[in-house]
Amino acid sequence: MNTIRYLSDPAFAGLYWPGIIAGLAMALMCALLSVLVVLKRLAFIGQGISHAGFGGIGVAAILGLTASATAAAPLHGIPQFLIILAFCIAASLLIGFISRPTGRGQPSTHADTAIGIVLVATMALGAILVAASRRGLAWESFLFGSLLQVGPWDAAIAWLLATFTIATVLLARRGLLFWAFDEPAAEAFGVRVGLCRFTLLFLLALATVAAMKLAGVVLATALLVLPGAIALRLSHRLSTVLALSLASAVLGLIAGIVLCFETDWVPGPCIVGVLSLMFAAAFTLGGRKAQR
Amino acid sequence: MPTDPPSPAPPAPPSPLAVEFRGVSFSYARADSPALHDISLDIPAGQRLGVLGPNGGGKSTLLKLTLGLLRGHSGSIRIFGATPEDARRHRWIGYVPQRNEAVLEFPISVRQAVAMSAALPLSPLKSGLHHTRAAVDEALALVGMSDLAERHIGSLSGGQLQRAMIARAIACRPRLLLLDEPTVGIDPAGQQKFGELLRRLHDSLGLTIIVVSHDIRTIAASSDRVACLSRTLHSHVAPEGLTPAVLAEVFRHDVAAIFGSDIHIHAHSADACPLDTPVSLTSSIRPPQK
Repeated sequence: MNTIRYLSDPAFAGLYWPGIIAGLAMALMCALLSVLVVLKRLAFIGQGISHAGFGGIGVAAILGLTASATAAAPLHGIPQFLIILAFCIAASLLIGFISRPTGRGQPSTHADTAIGIVLVATMALGAILVAASRRGLAWESFLFGSLLQVGPWDAAIAWLLATFTIATVLLARRGLLFWAFDEPAAEAFGVRVGLCRFTLLFLLALATVAAMKLAGVVLATALLVLPGAIALRLSHRLSTVLALSLASAVLGLIAGIVLCFETDWVPGPCIVGVLSLMFAAAFTLGGRKAQR
Repeated sequence: MPTDPPSPAPPAPPSPLAVEFRGVSFSYARADSPALHDISLDIPAGQRLGVLGPNGGGKSTLLKLTLGLLRGHSGSIRIFGATPEDARRHRWIGYVPQRNEAVLEFPISVRQAVAMSAALPLSPLKSGLHHTRAAVDEALALVGMSDLAERHIGSLSGGQLQRAMIARAIACRPRLLLLDEPTVGIDPAGQQKFGELLRRLHDSLGLTIIVVSHDIRTIAASSDRVACLSRTLHSHVAPEGLTPAVLAEVFRHDVAAIFGSDIHIHAHSADACPLDTPVSLTSSIRPPQK
């Protein structure tokens, strides 16, 4: 089997293990956030945030910061990463600002409109800047991810972001859950609902950036939706939902990477494909459970 | 963190008046006319006030101002002598929103939903369910939901869900309870039970209660006194003092929307109409005869 050979052969292991280790961090943070994303119907916002990464890629390209990290120069990819991170965070906050509720509780601009604007604007900016930089970029790896693009520093950063995300959600869990369950009541009981919204959008930006190298710009946000959607089809208990979300994210990641190794396909579609099949199974099982 | 700084123990309210509105007006941004105009209202501690009015009459705005959620009003508002923001921070106010705004597929039990309000001031390092168990059990018992505590919140009927939301509001031991359209979608028998529940809460906890509704039966079943609100305060009387003429005036815009502006209001008597008997606005307001 290719999987065993790639991961046990010292000649290949150094290339692939960072991606797997980064993927586990990504699975943890995405599994945790995806439950909130699904319940608050923020799935499309993730799309807007991840596509904003294109703008960051364009800015990095025009500044000549397109080199990936290598063993000889492990920090080479950091400036590009920081620019993409900044773009994604700015996009998330911009979407949140444009679609913030007014005094009557209705948004001044609906979230889907705000996402549509930010998504295409940053995509257009990225495409223009990449074209202007006259650098040949590996578009496929940006769009659909690549295990080989993930270096040890990327894995370390992914775990740093995952630790920060998990700690933030744990510390703010009461306000976040109350806000996600019943926003008007949460506000009346003293929860700072605006801060909750921006906290979640900020964490979504971090998770999207962490997932981007492995899963690609197009598919990164699938990981922020599918684990939570699978878990919510199967259980009504919060602790079980979180456990199922985590299990499905890790299982989808591992099965997707194995599929990637065995078929030599790009990892993003493999991971998302496996998770989509898992959702189809959960949808069927959950439907039968509901009928009973 | 996304919650206001918790107060270790809410201080005793210093004012005998639970709510004071003095010349309060409020307009939403870009609105043609004010949502509320020159509202003055005193609600003594321990009273149950029903706010009756048509849709768009400013009832929810009145509640939001009481909660300190809207800025930019004129006049003054005091809750137990404090600003609404301070009252909210001290958790003197319990709030029951319209039930259709909660995400009912949320994977939590009734107990977890009720504990949400009481657990907010706790340190993140403490277990919310453990430390709020006594308050949640007491609140569930008061609303008659103890046996449904472990059920999924989305599996409750409309009336049960309403009681769970009331339990959540009283689990943090407030002094003022606000209810926004509490009986929407509940049948007349359920409305009667709801009135009895509010009376029981009022008697056992000594709460001041404000109920806003466009449903006259809800107001009648749950109030000592009624304020009729349609942007301005039309009346501020005991329920038995409401007359058909007052009600017709309050609901004038709704009636005009149904029958057109050329309507004749048949208020046969200026006498009080007892609110514990069915009252139909359309029986006292008839369209013009062709």
